[in-house]
Amino acid sequence: MKTILRSHELSCPSCVNNIESSLNQAEGVTEATVHFATGRIEITHDADTIAADELQEMVQKTGYETTISKF
Amino acid sequence: MNQLEKMTHNIRNPTSRKKLLLILSGSLICIGWAAEVIWDSALLFNTFMIVSTLVAGLEIVRRAWQGLRNRHTNIELLVTIAATGGIVIGVYWEAAAVTFLFLLGGWLEARTMSNTRNTLRELINMAPDTATVLEDGNRREIPAREVEKGMLVLVKPGAKIPVDGVVKSGTTSVDESAITGEPIPAEKQSGAEVFAGTINKNGSIQVRAAKAGGDTTLAKIIQRVEEAQEEKAPTQRFIERFARWYTPGIVGLSIISYLWTWDLELALTLLVIGCPGALVISTPISVISGIGNAAKKGILIKGGDYLENAGKVSAVALDKTGTLTQGKPKVTEYIYLQREKVKADIGKSNPKKDEVSVVSATDLENGNIPDELVDLLYWAGIAESASEHPLAEAILSETPKSLHLPEPNYFTSHTGLGIEALHEGKQILVGSAKFLTHQGIFIGDSFTGQLDKLASNGHTTVLVARNNRLVGGIAISDPIRPEAREMIKRLRKNGINRIVMLTGDAGPAAHSIARDVEINEVYGGMLPDQKNDIIQNIQKEGENVAMIGDGINDAPALATADIGIAMGAAGTDVAIETADIALMSDKLMNIPQALKISKLTLRNIHQNVVIALVTVAALLAGVFMGSVHMAAGMLIHELSVMAVILNGMRLRWV
Repeated sequence: MKTILRSHELSCPSCVNNIESSLNQAEGVTEATVHFATGRIEITHDADTIAADELQEMVQKTGYETTISKF
Repeated sequence: MNQLEKMTHNIRNPTSRKKLLLILSGSLICIGWAAEVIWDSALLFNTFMIVSTLVAGLEIVRRAWQGLRNRHTNIELLVTIAATGGIVIGVYWEAAAVTFLFLLGGWLEARTMSNTRNTLRELINMAPDTATVLEDGNRREIPAREVEKGMLVLVKPGAKIPVDGVVKSGTTSVDESAITGEPIPAEKQSGAEVFAGTINKNGSIQVRAAKAGGDTTLAKIIQRVEEAQEEKAPTQRFIERFARWYTPGIVGLSIISYLWTWDLELALTLLVIGCPGALVISTPISVISGIGNAAKKGILIKGGDYLENAGKVSAVALDKTGTLTQGKPKVTEYIYLQREKVKADIGKSNPKKDEVSVVSATDLENGNIPDELVDLLYWAGIAESASEHPLAEAILSETPKSLHLPEPNYFTSHTGLGIEALHEGKQILVGSAKFLTHQGIFIGDSFTGQLDKLASNGHTTVLVARNNRLVGGIAISDPIRPEAREMIKRLRKNGINRIVMLTGDAGPAAHSIARDVEINEVYGGMLPDQKNDIIQNIQKEGENVAMIGDGINDAPALATADIGIAMGAAGTDVAIETADIALMSDKLMNIPQALKISKLTLRNIHQNVVIALVTVAALLAGVFMGSVHMAAGMLIHELSVMAVILNGMRLRWV
């Protein structure tokens, strides 16, 4: 399943790597891409292993507030 | 929620946690300074500074550690080393200032960036979450993305339309600014197309759904805008290559200078300025703002690449039909033979004394239509009502509603020439002057004179004869959009000196329109791939060409041009796909506007790169001359990042 998170606060392109690798290392995540310009975070994951709100929590932990988006 | 829960919530939420730490470390620094000034206590001052460093440092260390675990050396790591080093060598105030300013800068930057990304958030929020569907007379509320093709959706006045579809019943006006950028509401009635995210103003309507959720035009626009913003402009790619070497370079420089001078503070200061912050953000911030602002006006710029190309445009090629003109033939002029009213008691027209008059369609809009004209429209209408020719539609739409048009008893079409019909024993001929002459109708000299005049002004005239006698003529043309002239003028004013018209039309209409809008380079009778060749020739002459067309038959030329701009793209996926810039509405003024935004964005990027580079150079020079220390270094660094962001944000108000 694919979940789109949005963080409007990303202010330094270097934090993109940090969020990306945190997500990619999580169990159940197939692929995570963070787009700096738009603040869009695309995650392909197995919803049974890791739910959307857990992913949201992970991004929050890296220091950026984020929301789950409809598209 | 009790106090404790509220506090833990605040600490877990990144934004409020940052705010909390900022206030705390800031206050500690203030108290420290107060202690120094009031009690002259170095001990208290140093203690407060260390505590403040620890408070602010907590967040920074945490993120540095997180980065290390992911095998990334990030800027937080550099700041951590610098602050720790600062405490070790005893420059407590510098350490506190560095960590505080780093957090403050990050917080301010996050807030302004969030503001910049607002435009798109507004667009996303335009799509309502639920839709009311009608099934067997029952209303049911379902998530908007689950509406299926063919479902009937009820939209109440004041509500946002949840799907793309066609109005089945009801009339209303719809604010389509989310899609077209056009603030004036459009009138919608049965059969009209409506889009998700537009606002139903005043009537209740039922919409037959065509597309929902991620397939709607709005979702596609959002997706396009995002892809555009995410795509890297050439300048950005260059800067990123540079930035990749910058941070390790500074770290290396820091180590070398320490080994050279044994000055630890100098080495630490270098670490503080080691983040290429302003530099890496210089291009994306301008691109986000520029593309976001354009999107709000109904101008879809497909990426940073195109933004840079559009900023360099020196020549513009325009299609005629549908771009400079409205693309719909309209009756503009009538020629008729005025019957001289001889004495009332005779009451009969005297054809021998016919006089040719010309009257324009707009002059008739509010006034009385002369009998001769009603006659002309009546006979033409009978014949044309059986015809499928495109000009027939233009003529029939002008027939007064009160006039009932009977079906002709007989109808035949002389392809390419005209049509012939029979009604109540009267023969009607409708067609070109050549056709009528050929059929033996006499057309007087003064009438022919008027025809020639109309032809040279780009009109096509259809003549009507009844029972072998000329009734009059109806001049039809594809009207120029009212703002076409102004648009060309604006382009020239914005520094585009070469403006070319390319059209498939070989007739005098092309030249007449070019004359009207003041374009002097015209290529008529062009096939799509010939348009392509012309564009290539202009490019060979060293120009950066923008081609403006309607996206479908101009596709090759749009692709060849340095920038392809498609008009009226709302609802036509092809245009959105093929063009580099898609104008969602038919508003011509968006063309100079799109080029202007591009140019300003390009300039903004250059300004930002200069700000960033000058800051880095000045900081490096300052550090080595010994006039910039850790706190000042961090301050200047954060200020330059803010300057770049704020400069980029100016594009939102262009």
